[in-house]
Amino acid sequence: MGGFFSSLFSGLFGTREMRILILGLDGAGKTTILYRLQVGEVVTTIPTIGFNVETVTYKNLKFQVWDLGGQTSIRPYWRCYYSNTDAVIYVVDSSDRDRMGISKSELVAMLEEEELKKAILVVFANKQDMEQAMTPTEVANSLGLPALKDRKWQIFKTSATKGTGLDEAMEWLVESLKSRQ
Amino acid sequence: MFAKLKKKIAEEAATAPRTGRIPRSMSKESITSVGADSGDDFASDGSSSRDDLSSQILRRNDQIRKLEAKLSDYAEQLRIMQRTKDKLELALEKHQDSSMRKLQEQNEVYQANRAKMAEGMALALEKKDQEWMEKMGALEQEKAALAARLEDMTEQSLSLFQKRDDLDELEGFQQQELAKVKHMLLRREEQLSQREKELKQKAEELQRARQESAQGKDKLSELEEEHEETCRLNAQLQAERDELVSVREESEKRICEMERKEKELQELILQVSEDFQKAQSSALSLEKSLESLQAQHEELKLQHEQFKSKAAVTEEERERLLADLQEKATSLERRLQSDLSQDEHLQELLKEKSSLEQRLEEVRGELLEERTNHSTTTNSLEAQISKLNTNVAELQTLLRHKDESSKAYRERTDSQITELEQRLANLNEKLKSSEEQLTESEAQTEKLQAEWGEERERLQQQVATQRQRGLEKTAQLEEQLLTLQAQRETEKNSHQDSIRLLEEEKSSLLKSKAEIESTLEKVTEELQQAKTELTSRQTVSVEIAKALEETRKQREELQQQVTEITGSLQKAEQEVSQLSEQLGLKDKELQSLREDLQAERSSLSSLQAELENLRAEAEEREREKNDLRQEVIAQTRQLDSCQSRVSDLEVEVESLTGQLNGTDTCDGEQNGTVTVGDLDHLQKVNKDLEQQLSEKNKTIKQLQQRLAELKRTLQKELKLKPELESEGKEKPQDGRGDRHDRQNDRPGTEASAPVPAPAPAPSVAQSSNQGPISSNTTVTNSSDLTDTREINFEYLKHVVLKFMSSREAEAYQLIRAVSVLLHFTREEEDMLKQTLEYKMSWFGSKPSPKGIIRPSISGTTTQWS
Repeated sequence: MGGFFSSLFSGLFGTREMRILILGLDGAGKTTILYRLQVGEVVTTIPTIGFNVETVTYKNLKFQVWDLGGQTSIRPYWRCYYSNTDAVIYVVDSSDRDRMGISKSELVAMLEEEELKKAILVVFANKQDMEQAMTPTEVANSLGLPALKDRKWQIFKTSATKGTGLDEAMEWLVESLKSRQ
Repeated sequence: MFAKLKKKIAEEAATAPRTGRIPRSMSKESITSVGADSGDDFASDGSSSRDDLSSQILRRNDQIRKLEAKLSDYAEQLRIMQRTKDKLELALEKHQDSSMRKLQEQNEVYQANRAKMAEGMALALEKKDQEWMEKMGALEQEKAALAARLEDMTEQSLSLFQKRDDLDELEGFQQQELAKVKHMLLRREEQLSQREKELKQKAEELQRARQESAQGKDKLSELEEEHEETCRLNAQLQAERDELVSVREESEKRICEMERKEKELQELILQVSEDFQKAQSSALSLEKSLESLQAQHEELKLQHEQFKSKAAVTEEERERLLADLQEKATSLERRLQSDLSQDEHLQELLKEKSSLEQRLEEVRGELLEERTNHSTTTNSLEAQISKLNTNVAELQTLLRHKDESSKAYRERTDSQITELEQRLANLNEKLKSSEEQLTESEAQTEKLQAEWGEERERLQQQVATQRQRGLEKTAQLEEQLLTLQAQRETEKNSHQDSIRLLEEEKSSLLKSKAEIESTLEKVTEELQQAKTELTSRQTVSVEIAKALEETRKQREELQQQVTEITGSLQKAEQEVSQLSEQLGLKDKELQSLREDLQAERSSLSSLQAELENLRAEAEEREREKNDLRQEVIAQTRQLDSCQSRVSDLEVEVESLTGQLNGTDTCDGEQNGTVTVGDLDHLQKVNKDLEQQLSEKNKTIKQLQQRLAELKRTLQKELKLKPELESEGKEKPQDGRGDRHDRQNDRPGTEASAPVPAPAPAPSVAQSSNQGPISSNTTVTNSSDLTDTREINFEYLKHVVLKFMSSREAEAYQLIRAVSVLLHFTREEEDMLKQTLEYKMSWFGSKPSPKGIIRPSISGTTTQWS
């Protein structure tokens, strides 16, 4: 019934919830980013088997943020969630140079999906507080982002535990979503 | 500097062949140290190339020595040049001293020339003084001539003074005569003023008379006002009269009305009398009707009596009939008795008798009834009569009333008439009185008019008298005025005559005066001319005197100037002579000095040319030196690069030897006969191999990372796995399952879930514990399957839980995931979507469950991929 009324109100006022997916390899910090965005705090997380859904309100825009588990075995199920997605936040562990290739292949596979052709891509070069972290340009180059065509994308250096860079990234995301509408 | 360099080069040359190695200190001391540090060691077997190098170095050293010798020569030449330069400077100083001396001498000569010039000037001044003296004498003669002229002029001025005295006397006489004339004029003016005063008095009298007339006019106006007032009164009276006349008319009208009313009233009386007559006639008719009624009553009574008689007659007749009938009955009875059947007869007779009796009785009843009827009719008639009687009585009373009323009416009308007559009389009286008033008022008006007329006449008379008086007065005044004017005119005439006389006198006097004045003017003109002449003369003389004085002053000044000039001339001449002398000397000196200067300049220019040549030479030398130095530097660089190459080669050789040694091949034997080409080839091969190695290392690293990842996931899943199985198999024991609470909340699903494959092998655990580099990372298929299943089961559980607990909007998104996980068919998925849409939407019917899930078909989703 609550859903009924919420759908009613959303229908009345025309404010559709934006659907955002947070994807990335396991241990990249997706769940931490999700709860940092929602509650503004660092929560202790366990590896996500499944997903987390939260509604995040940012600048009067409501987002339905889906944090999907990034473990190897459940990555194939990401594609079940691709429909009606407005934006994808792809989180990369900047200090994990070894798995950058895997991350790139996953990203490429994801971007080839037909259902995500119109989704905006935001890459979070996370864990920038680590000493051996790659710079955002390095991350972008190793992910092959400059080669992307027909895609609105942007990379941001973030640190979910320190809470830096998230605001700028969300600001850009909100602006680009608004401009797309 | 060079010595040091030399020494060092020598040392290097000495040490190089001995050690076969160039120390690093040399590279530091050398000007450029590019790539000196990069080289490590020198190869031991490059002997031929070293010999060449040493010989080259020796050659270079020789060249350097030669160059140093040249440099020392150049230094000596430079010293010589400096010495010559010093000498030239000394010569220049000497020249300067001598030129200074010459200049001083020239100065002295110039002063002597100047003294000579001053003397010449003094002589010229003396000559000029004599000329001035001559001019002074001429001027004195002119002065004497001018003095003589002055004396003549003074005489002329004396004669002019005498003429002036005469003129003064004449002016005195003129003034006396003028005074007399003025005195006479004054007297006449006084007389005139007196006459004017008299005139003013007369004018005042006139004004007074006018004021009186104005007063008379005022009185007249007052009288006129009174007249107006009386007129007003008259008008008022006339208005009253009109009012009274109107009142009379009104009263007459009223009288007419009253008469009309009287007539009306009389008519009314007549009508009333007629009515009365009519009433009397009605009364008579009523009496007549009464009589008729009485007659009717009597007739009725008669009828009644007749009825009674009739009734009686009928009774008698009935009685007779009865008797007849009785007779008949008796006869009949007799007959009966006489008849055969007596009894029957009897009976019949009896019957007849009874019937006859009955008839008799009926007739009697009828009779009675008739009698009663008759009585009632009589009664009613009597009642009618009584009523009529009462009517008559009432009529009689009415009549009486009417008589009374008529009498009262008559009385009333009589009284009214009398009243009206009285009113008429009163009104007539009033009329009379009003007429009397009118007459009175008319009389008053007449009186008033008469009075007014009298007053008016009086006033008019007064006005006339006053006017006459005023006219008289004005006439008198006019006469007075006329007389006065006549007097005045006469006086005026007399005055005018006197004035004429006086004017004539005046004119004559004026003429005389004019004559005198003309004469005076002539005299004054003469005087003025004389004066002007005198003044001009005087000014001329004064100017002459001033000019004389100025000339004197000029002479004195000139004399003084002359003396001064002569002094200065003398001095100047002296100076000039001195200066000319000095000048001559100086010119000589200057010429000599110029000559010297030219000579020195020529020498200096030659010296400078020499210097420039020397400098050019020095610069060339320096350039050569720099070139040489650059050459040296380049050579040293070449040396360094050669050394670095040598060291690189050594390194390569060493590495190659190392490799050769390490790879336990027979390369070591060939080592001795390796040519340079082989070496290069080997190096290339080596490099390629190294690149390949590095690439392979990278790929190995990546593979290792993947492996590590897989292992991590494996480990995690393995951690979950044993607990699961322990719970599934050893439920009663439940010793290890307490750690992970997550798995405790799904025993139902486990029970229903298919039993997973056998427990993970210990090798998996070992492999997970081992390092990522080890090659034993291949996991058995069964364990992998179970792991994935386990993970998937966990995932499915989570997704289904979320699907059930989340909002419709979120659940809608989860349909796909659930259907993929549970291997739903497309229909089933669509059905789920429709039901969810139905739940979310406002309207719409519930979708019919098309694809009913049969457990036999769709329940076989035990395999997880």
